Amino acid sequence: MRNAVRLVDVLDRMEAGPIIEEEDFDMRLVPETMAELQAKYDISIPPDAPFVPDDDALADRLFEAGLEMAEAIGVLCTDTGRRMLWTRSEILDAIGIAPDHLTVGAFPDAHTEYKRLPEDTRRITIKGGPVGTPSPEHLYVAIQQSYAQEPLVDLMIDGSLETVYGREGRSHSPWEVLLSWHEMEMVLTAVQRAGRPGLGIGCTENSVSEIGELTVTAADRLGPHHWHHVAMISEFKTNYALMTKVAHIHKTGSILHSFYNTIYGGTAGGREGMAIAIVGGCILMQMAYMTTTHSVSPTHPFYGNTTSPDILRAIAPAQQALSRNTHLLNDVVITPVGGPGTKTLLYEVAAQSLLAVSSGAAALIGPRSAAGTEPGHVSGLEARFMAEVAHAAAGMSRAEANRLVAEMVARYKADLDQRPVGKRFDEVYDVVRVQPTEEWLGIYEEVKSELRELGLNLDSAAAHDCVGRSTTV
Amino acid sequence: MPDEKREEALRKELDQVLAAGDTEKGTQIARQALESGLTPTEFFVGIIQPLLYDVGKRFERLEIFLPDLMKAAKVIQTMQREVLEPAILAESGEGSELGTVVIGTCQGDIHDIGKNMVALMLQVNGFRVIDLGTDVSPQNFIDAARKEEADIIGMSSLLTPSMPYMGDLIKRLEGLGLREQYKVIVGGAPVTEAYAERIGADAYGADAVHAVQMCRQLIGLEG
Ligand code: B1M
Repeated sequence: MRNAVRLVDVLDRMEAGPIIEEEDFDMRLVPETMAELQAKYDISIPPDAPFVPDDDALADRLFEAGLEMAEAIGVLCTDTGRRMLWTRSEILDAIGIAPDHLTVGAFPDAHTEYKRLPEDTRRITIKGGPVGTPSPEHLYVAIQQSYAQEPLVDLMIDGSLETVYGREGRSHSPWEVLLSWHEMEMVLTAVQRAGRPGLGIGCTENSVSEIGELTVTAADRLGPHHWHHVAMISEFKTNYALMTKVAHIHKTGSILHSFYNTIYGGTAGGREGMAIAIVGGCILMQMAYMTTTHSVSPTHPFYGNTTSPDILRAIAPAQQALSRNTHLLNDVVITPVGGPGTKTLLYEVAAQSLLAVSSGAAALIGPRSAAGTEPGHVSGLEARFMAEVAHAAAGMSRAEANRLVAEMVARYKADLDQRPVGKRFDEVYDVVRVQPTEEWLGIYEEVKSELRELGLNLDSAAAHDCVGRSTTV
Repeated sequence: MPDEKREEALRKELDQVLAAGDTEKGTQIARQALESGLTPTEFFVGIIQPLLYDVGKRFERLEIFLPDLMKAAKVIQTMQREVLEPAILAESGEGSELGTVVIGTCQGDIHDIGKNMVALMLQVNGFRVIDLGTDVSPQNFIDAARKEEADIIGMSSLLTPSMPYMGDLIKRLEGLGLREQYKVIVGGAPVTEAYAERIGADAYGADAVHAVQMCRQLIGLEG
């Protein structure tokens, strides 16, 4: 829950908190705290642990560890060199009054995202889009339309632009204004073309610094009812530019979504450290940014994905920890190594969707295909697939989800270091009709058949019904 | 003890010291090794480099994590500064550092994880590294390179709109008549070898290990 008093209080802490050297924060405070809390709360996720554990006690211990981590570390503002800190009771108060649902977008396409529990029968929210992946300018509208026109996509998230009016853009310069405006012009065209003018839009993705966000919000290109993004720097850091976005988004009464990508093997550590960092990171984004929805995207340092087995093993218990102990709206970003036209991509997306849905995530974001780094290697069909699998998994037990995730991981594990980036959008879609090619559709149907054979009911009412049973929180 | 056995025992001991990040013990061992007759180069090439290689490989397999790598780097840097560097200076009258690299992430870009890895690997491999952090403008790179009398300018970019600053810097160096004074290496997820060539960079680093090889080549050593 945000208000002007809390915003000023956060900014005060940013100017008055304890001073620390960034290196000391990164290299001592974060790793030492993680190691201490891992031992104190007996957090163990062995390399052969289930992908989707069914261990509520572990989830609850993880929550306690994440809460204590948030209190002990706080958020470092690199411009002031100070840590913003909150006491345990301040944290509990703040997360206690955070909203448990949120409506994004405008009539007639507004969508409400709800908090979910592990094994919840309520449908998860689908936020489809390329999540920052750069795309050639001439394909940008068609790419965004390919997501917007998918009926199961509830909200859209944008890609980045490779160029602006054929020129190279430059971050933190007048070019960022043009890039951000051009993104808005084109995504608003895409949602119009898809016949969903009120669809909630995520970003501005080209607002690398604060400039883009300020310009598109000020001119009401990206209205307050869309979801505006602010990153937290891994691990647990922010700066004036990001806090400027926060202040601006609050003062304009806009919806704030924050995200951060803990790095596997980075200062937070391995599986256990990542799991604690996911929980503590979400709590800290809530405290520093007063955000309404959050996502954490634990990233592999060499493959850039979120679907490696060790990462999945951290995401599931962390998501369960947050869902069981708070009503924060936590989203899971899916970043596969596979790109359009590959089965790898679909296996990865299926695995992480099943895992997130059964662990109680509120929304799925993506897929950020081909690790989000291969220009134009994204398409709306993978978002349709993500939604279908996710809705078929509503109400699924964690044990059953674990069985299916293991099946999927076995099918893609060997591809992870191969960079199977697949094909660019214009090779898997007819860009005029904005429809997938027969070849890409065929691959998609094949993987769906494989999932059906494994017992996933992709044809159930849950996969298509728009009204899921709600859970009282 | 025969030389080989002695070196093996030394490596084992140092391995534990690197894992613990014990800088004091590290310098003590380095001192003893030189006293026992090893030259600084023999010690570095025969003992430290294989250990470094091993630590790097373990990180690649994610058996150890970034803080472990940093701990090992601290021990090696301290050894170099306090024991090896003065010994080499006393022997030959010249320093042992391979050269100075000014490194940073380009303007508007705050991605620093890959850049930090590159900086770390350059340091432990004997370069003097001046890390300018993130969001560094072309002019700030140049100012720092002049001040530090750098040999190499290293730019990292993770964002399509921060990449053009790499080419801008090279053009600015040309415009200022400074291009011949500095070698330029670029890297980061969206940067490719072809891009590096197009903007006129001297080298492209695909990853941290490759970046070290390229920087060695840039200063005329074998990769
Ligand atoms: C000098 O010589 C050399 C030589 C070799 C060099 C070198 C220099 N530098 C690197 N190398 C090489 O060696 C390293 C070691 O092997 C390697 O380094 P890498 O950096 O490639 O690899 C690292 C070890 C691990 N990889 C990483 O650290 C990057 C991972 C991803 C997921 C990523 C992260 C982590 C983050 N992000 Co951002 N992020 C993404 C990345 C997507 C991905 N899958 O890669 C990317 C880069 N991000 C992107 C975006 C759009 C953004 N991010 C943003 C923010 C963030 C976080 C803060 C959350 C976080 C950064 C935290 C941090 N401390 O760095 C925003 C920008 C903020 C800013 N001003 O910079 C924001 C704009 C999102 C927004 N709208 O706010 C995309 C860029 C698209 C593009 N091409 O323009 C992106 C590809 C993901 C995506 N699809 O959205 C090599 O490239």
